[in-house]
Amino acid sequence: MTTALRWHRVPRLLAMAALTVMVLGPLYWITMSAFKDREEILRSTPTIFPEHPTLENFRELFTATDYPSYLTNSFIVALLTAFFTMLVSFAAAYGLYRLRIPGGNKVAGLILVAYMIPGTLLLVPLYQVFAKVQLVDTRNALVIVNVAFTAPFCTWLLRGFFFAIPRDIDEAAAVDGAGPVRMMFRIVLPLLRPGLSTVGVYAFVFSWTEFVFASQLLVSDDLKTLPIGLSAIMGQYTVNWGLLMAGTVCTVIPAIVPFLFAGRYFVGGLTAGAVK
Amino acid sequence: MRLRKVRRAAVAALALAVVLPVAACGGSSGPSGGGDGDKTLTLWHMEQPPNRVAAFQKVIDAYNATNPEYKVQAQVQDWNQIYTKISSAVQSKTQPDILFTIPDFTTYVRPLGAVRPVTSLVEELDKEHTFGDAAKAAYRDDDQYWAVPLYGMVQMLWYRKDLFAKAGITEAPKTWSQLLDDAKKLTSGNQKGIAVPAGKNLATDQVIYSLMLTGGAGNFFTDSGQVAFDKPQTVAALSLYADLLKQSPSDAGNYSWGEPQAAFNSGAAAMAIEKGQYLAPFEKESGRPASDLGCAPIPQADTGGQPGSIYYSNAAMVLSPDDARAKGAEDFLRFVLKPENYGQFLNAEPGLFLPLTEDGATAPSWTDNEVIKKYQGCVDAMLEQSKTGGLFGFVDGQYVDSIGKVSGQNILAQVVQRVYSNGESPAAAVKWGQQQMQEAVSR
Repeated sequence: MTTALRWHRVPRLLAMAALTVMVLGPLYWITMSAFKDREEILRSTPTIFPEHPTLENFRELFTATDYPSYLTNSFIVALLTAFFTMLVSFAAAYGLYRLRIPGGNKVAGLILVAYMIPGTLLLVPLYQVFAKVQLVDTRNALVIVNVAFTAPFCTWLLRGFFFAIPRDIDEAAAVDGAGPVRMMFRIVLPLLRPGLSTVGVYAFVFSWTEFVFASQLLVSDDLKTLPIGLSAIMGQYTVNWGLLMAGTVCTVIPAIVPFLFAGRYFVGGLTAGAVK
Repeated sequence: MRLRKVRRAAVAALALAVVLPVAACGGSSGPSGGGDGDKTLTLWHMEQPPNRVAAFQKVIDAYNATNPEYKVQAQVQDWNQIYTKISSAVQSKTQPDILFTIPDFTTYVRPLGAVRPVTSLVEELDKEHTFGDAAKAAYRDDDQYWAVPLYGMVQMLWYRKDLFAKAGITEAPKTWSQLLDDAKKLTSGNQKGIAVPAGKNLATDQVIYSLMLTGGAGNFFTDSGQVAFDKPQTVAALSLYADLLKQSPSDAGNYSWGEPQAAFNSGAAAMAIEKGQYLAPFEKESGRPASDLGCAPIPQADTGGQPGSIYYSNAAMVLSPDDARAKGAEDFLRFVLKPENYGQFLNAEPGLFLPLTEDGATAPSWTDNEVIKKYQGCVDAMLEQSKTGGLFGFVDGQYVDSIGKVSGQNILAQVVQRVYSNGESPAAAVKWGQQQMQEAVSR
């Protein structure tokens, strides 16, 4: 019986192993390549582990390029984007899904429509507007654009979390004399922490990987973010693969870490409300 | 008690909301705009790799150290984004003072209205340093020069002498049939005879164009600017390219600039057609001595062939909003082309950036570079190849205003892809290319 059960598991285990290799394989390859010299990276018979592990690519990355500056800029923009997205989407979701506002459902629908507008269509008009208000070539411009793109989706994302909090709690708090603001901060906010973590992670990762607007709105080298910096390392005509691999490793890690802590909430947030 | 905590949290959040954006403001210097008191000229270039950025910066620092009225500040841009970016910048009057360019990009920027003619400066520099004709011609239109030529680039046939010796091949191919025969001989096991790109990108555009030039199909516009792409010479060049792709690595359909070079240096491919960026990293990436790197002119068609290769000069346009700033920009360009500074500028990517002036080609600031000295033979061959080079839209004295629409859509690369990925015949793909180009230039 036990053996039969074990055999029964084999296809599932094989599928999981295949999926793991498919997902983590490229990441492993990039990481190992970052520790190889340029000849070993390109060798036609690839090596699984670096033959002569070297930190040269990382040294070059942090000394010969503006990578530390890109990293700092990305952190500032991503943290601010996450903070303001949490603030805006929490307030919006509370109003739309918790308070009984006439036409609230329609407004909620409109917010999602806004999310569906392709960002690239807005490139030139946004550049001109930001130029008029002296925001071109500032990190603020990126934060504003990122929040504008993440907040609608995050407001919708919080919907499931709000619905999971029974309205009876609000009523009980109201009976105890709590007003809407106090209820929002004292009752709902603490219960919504998983949802807000999800929103924060989503906004952080969105901002961390955002390329199109950053490439248009930032002009100065000292304000550029990681995606732009990595693209610069790729360069025209020739590629320094070692530098690129080291840059990719250092860029991926900060995006993975928040997911390790909040990943389960994120999946929960996407599926919340799907089953009653 | 609890209410106090909530208040404190709210105050903290508000404080964060106020303080964090201040941190985000950053020290933006912004594009020029040319305010009255602003004595900094903005220079946009698209040479992004760190070594090129650092080398250009050294030249700029040396210029700024001479205490000019207007100092120069470089801002590095991305070729893939520059078309949208410059358009937005000109419309919002925040364009840079100096913008690096190539001939077809110039045809795109000029109609935006901010480019200043630099005829007197080019003529003055020509007298002083002597430009080659090919360097200047692509920037002359309406009896004016629109950019100052700075550095040239030309494609060659690169080959691995060690792999040639193993296959018993004693010299580089000179004709298309020899090129194909050698590619076949060199293909065995994991090794391919040649690595040519077939991605929808400028790299593919340029490699197929080099073969079109040596097959007599380099000029695909009539004197009146009509498209004349669909002709037997173009079909022949495309047929050869399709045959070469059969001797290329199987992922050539995704290749751009970096991949053929990686295949070449790893020994996965014995030949490649590209520019002088193959020199500097060869030893480090291949683990082979410099003597194993061979270079030769692009092979010519067996019948009706002619010497040629894609060749173009990179240049600088002046977009300053007022005369004083424009004069400052011109002073900087004069400084760059002085032989004592020019070499340092060119050696931002030794071998890839070739001199365009007579005194620049012999300037010790360029010739003393390690890479240039080590690969002297190939460098000389590239300079020689430059003399017969050309660029689509600018051959035979042409200046096709609409060429940017053809190159911007990578129509040449798309023609290659139709043969390589869709299995179309070269004749049908060329016919399709003719239609696409006609549509592009008529818009």
